[in-house]
Amino acid sequence: MSAVAIARQPERFDLVRAVCVREWKEALGNKLLVGMTLLPPVVILAAGIVAVGAAAVNPPSDRDVQALYAAAPAVQGLDPKEAIQGFIATYFLILFMLIPTVVPLTMAIYSVIGEKSARTLEPLLAAPVGVGELLFAKSLASTVPSVVVTWVAYAIYLFSVRALGSQAAVNAVTAPRWILAIVVMVPLLTLLSVNLGILISTRVNDVRVAQQIGGLVVVPVVGLGIAQVTGRVVLDNASFITFSLLLIAADLAVFLFARLAFQRENILVRWR
Amino acid sequence: MRTVLRTDKLTKRFGSLIAVDGVDLEVREGEVFGYLGPNGAGKTTTLRLLCALIAPTSGSAEVAGFRLGRDDAKIRAAVGILTEQPGLYERQSAWDNLVFYATLYGLGRATAHAQAERFLRLMGLWERRAESVATFSRGMKQKMAIARSALHEPRILFLDEPTTGLDPDAAKTVREFIVALRGEGRTVFLCTHNLDEADRLCDRIAFFRHKVIRIDTPDDLRAELYGRATEFRLMPHPRPEDLARVKAVEGVRAAHLENGSIIVEAPDPKRTNPLLVRTLVEGGAEIAFVTERKPHLEEVYLRIVEGQE
Repeated sequence: MSAVAIARQPERFDLVRAVCVREWKEALGNKLLVGMTLLPPVVILAAGIVAVGAAAVNPPSDRDVQALYAAAPAVQGLDPKEAIQGFIATYFLILFMLIPTVVPLTMAIYSVIGEKSARTLEPLLAAPVGVGELLFAKSLASTVPSVVVTWVAYAIYLFSVRALGSQAAVNAVTAPRWILAIVVMVPLLTLLSVNLGILISTRVNDVRVAQQIGGLVVVPVVGLGIAQVTGRVVLDNASFITFSLLLIAADLAVFLFARLAFQRENILVRWR
Repeated sequence: MRTVLRTDKLTKRFGSLIAVDGVDLEVREGEVFGYLGPNGAGKTTTLRLLCALIAPTSGSAEVAGFRLGRDDAKIRAAVGILTEQPGLYERQSAWDNLVFYATLYGLGRATAHAQAERFLRLMGLWERRAESVATFSRGMKQKMAIARSALHEPRILFLDEPTTGLDPDAAKTVREFIVALRGEGRTVFLCTHNLDEADRLCDRIAFFRHKVIRIDTPDDLRAELYGRATEFRLMPHPRPEDLARVKAVEGVRAAHLENGSIIVEAPDPKRTNPLLVRTLVEGGAEIAFVTERKPHLEEVYLRIVEGQE
């Protein structure tokens, strides 16, 4: 009797869907991971809503208004209360850009280090799938929830600002460059964070160490926020486009490095 | 029988270490092929090479009709591997684990479900399909891993220590599964330390330590080293003249007394034993038992593999 094999290479869509669904089920079963993933957006969102609400209720002091005019000359001429709300609403949007750097990092790190420690990579790599496709599927599995979480948080924030804040605050949150940032830069930042997480995870075996190293990805975003608050950088349309282009370049470079590190033989023989 | 796996001077180096050194193998379709060697001999590396998981440093191989290095994805689709560690997704159910792997092997949804059900039933895990694998015993996890490796009906199944750490019941299930696979015409490449298991299951055995030392059937390996021995137990006990008559029979290489029996070594016992029985009966001896004497494969292994040191 001659045996017949029924296996073949899976369709790319089936592979990506299967990996994503498996990773999401795995993530949802890990309470620590769910908590670490949802805590930053919840805190940032709650703080933003409270701050905008507080600014709507409490009139700003003269000192606050003078400090604001010094930091953001563009708002001079606006009603001080409106200007303060607009500034706070914008400031928290910058903090929103931290969500795509923090949320997917944890998932991406668990996605590789978790498989390393559970010894599940060898049977996975024995399947007739390309490692590039596998890496892409793993990237997507961490990217999609993060982008969705950020977009949902933005939608809730927008709804809350409309309900609590002034027209200046609503205008600030719905400014085209911020829409562009949420729609374009959030996925780009997420991809960067995910692929950095994967790259780091190929070199270390401890989730905490990987998170500490990966946490450095928030530094440029925080720096940008501080620069904007202190008036050193004005986030106009041109700077948003420049940052988007830089992110695209960084995404490609990091993905290529991750792809180089994510080789079948490396994983099986060198990863420990 | 057709050859389903062939290697030609297959070699794998890791820096200065030669893990697999010029291995030449030919494995036939439908046979259980044992791959025996001490820890660190390079057995797992050989498996990884043959499953197209790592690339050889030199040499070549053809696995299930596909060329290693050229058709690696096709090789991975045509073979299954049971790795040393079960490597299951412990937070997920038995069902989800198998359906996930079925998808990775390109099985459509209906086939994936049918195969997952078939193998869960075969391994006696169907009733626990919805439970997370983390709640399973070591034996159940190993059965799950075997089910996963065979789910896509591979032509060659590579099993790395499949019964290590299993209780006798689970080990029996695994052995019966291997026999069933052979019955379906599938080839099983069995890496094991369990010599008794190899003796019972394998059609041929390769003794291996970085290179292949010897390949043969278990019986021929024994015969080559120890000849083919038969024990004649006589009642009430053998007499000196019985031993003398036995030694005089044509084809007998050696004979001696041992614990109330005559042990006879002969290269062709099928021809010699009837002559011996007739000679002893005609000489007035009363024969209680005639038993084939098999040295344990362990003795053969130690003599061949340890003799290489």
